[in-house]
Amino acid sequence: MPLKGLKGRKALVTGAASGIGEAVCQRLRDEGVEVHATDIHPKRDLLVADLTDADEVEKLAAEVGAPDFLVNAAGGPVVPTHSDTLPALPKASIPLEDVSMKQWSGVIAANLTTAFLVCREFVPRMKARKSGRIVNFASIAARRGSSRVGVHYAAAKGGIIALTKTLALELGPFGITVNAVAPGYIKTPRIAAASWGHESPEAEQAFIRALPLRRPGNPADIAGVVAMLCSDAGAYVSGATIDVNGGWYFGP
Amino acid sequence: MRLKAQVYYQTPMKTAIVTGAAKPDSIGFAVAQGLREEGYNIVVADLYEQGFGGLKDCLCVRTDVADPRSVEELIGKTLARHRTIDVLVNAVGGSWGITPQDLTAPPPRGFRGLTNCTLEDWRTILGANLDSAFYCCRAAAPHLKKQGGAIVNIASVAARKGIPPGAEGSSGPYAVAKAGVMALTRQLALELGEFGVRVNCVAPGVIASGRFQRVMEFSKKGQGPEGALAQIPMGRVGTVAETAALIVALCTDDTSYVTGAVVDVNGASYAA
Repeated sequence: MPLKGLKGRKALVTGAASGIGEAVCQRLRDEGVEVHATDIHPKRDLLVADLTDADEVEKLAAEVGAPDFLVNAAGGPVVPTHSDTLPALPKASIPLEDVSMKQWSGVIAANLTTAFLVCREFVPRMKARKSGRIVNFASIAARRGSSRVGVHYAAAKGGIIALTKTLALELGPFGITVNAVAPGYIKTPRIAAASWGHESPEAEQAFIRALPLRRPGNPADIAGVVAMLCSDAGAYVSGATIDVNGGWYFGP
Repeated sequence: MRLKAQVYYQTPMKTAIVTGAAKPDSIGFAVAQGLREEGYNIVVADLYEQGFGGLKDCLCVRTDVADPRSVEELIGKTLARHRTIDVLVNAVGGSWGITPQDLTAPPPRGFRGLTNCTLEDWRTILGANLDSAFYCCRAAAPHLKKQGGAIVNIASVAARKGIPPGAEGSSGPYAVAKAGVMALTRQLALELGEFGVRVNCVAPGVIASGRFQRVMEFSKKGQGPEGALAQIPMGRVGTVAETAALIVALCTDDTSYVTGAVVDVNGASYAA
């Protein structure tokens, strides 16, 4: 059965060029949603925008109009560039002393400022219609702390949870729900390429065997939860952070 | 003959047990309808036999989920009718109307906190909300493990923030029991994950079920089981339909990588 309340709606998905964002676009399109996809990395059928720049967000809004669903999937553990390809991930966590100012402000901007600017631009359109769904991307790094990236990424994602709660309070009276998804170990192509955070294939297997569900997640696992939050099933869910991590870590 | 049997079993229907689903204005009832739309055989376990006539195409079993023998009978009857148990939704709960004796009684007046409830209150409320989930999960687990599946329990925002003294229709023991349901959910997620059984719970705020409506009939204006309704940012109570849709989604592949999670559904009234 398709999820109810999705068909014929309009969505904006950021960070849509690859991985989780791409899977979200696919899933929403499968459900009959008109999806507008954007990313900083150019790709066919994508609106290219640097969402850390308020002017570019404004230009994007002029093209997209008024989406029913806003999925802020843009972000990630490394500072993005305007190049055609995603920057590779580091193989190990960066210790505090080695986090540069450029990494700190770049990762905060890519994950947190993008969500802030996109919400600020599109929320008035949702308010006017007294409805809307916003799904932000937190991370297990914000829930349990980060042992794979570093303090900059965990702080940015923690900020996403606080932004989500605050917007839920602020926008509830306008019929807009605001939630976050906190993925665990999701094996996107980029993460697989970096064998991220694992010293060896054996170490990765041991980690996976310790997960209650005994497998890494895949982008479609995350897309299902995003679709759920946009559907009728998410109509009264707001201010929540949904852990999607196969039982790795239990949130509050 | 053998070929015919193989064809028959090629796409066996899955089976879901939903407890507390007989009252037509309950969350459990809407969950049973939702899972039937998803193609499940439905088994309804409830004390409220008067409601069984309203449940078309369901196997209805009179069950006292606070009694482990009654739960064993439920599992036996389910397996006598259907081949598997794939989903269990524990929707029995509440602070009143939960025992064979007070099933249709009006809600008790006044607030029963931990310091002024009777020991009988404590036992019956813990029994209906926490023991019941334990008995049902434990009895169904060996069958869920055979092919994988999902369990959804119903906790409450009360487990996160407590019940403010004075709130009508709920109780202190209820808040404690629902916190236990959250811990039970996490523990079972660890124990059943390797068998492909996901275990999650929802934590509803104020939902406009029949039980809520009956409390509102006599409670002070603007007051509900979880305190002042005016404090809900979304400006409304939740509906049974949207809560049930969320529970159904936690049973399906939409949430294939979610286990041990508490999903708050409270209109932004309490962000955990």
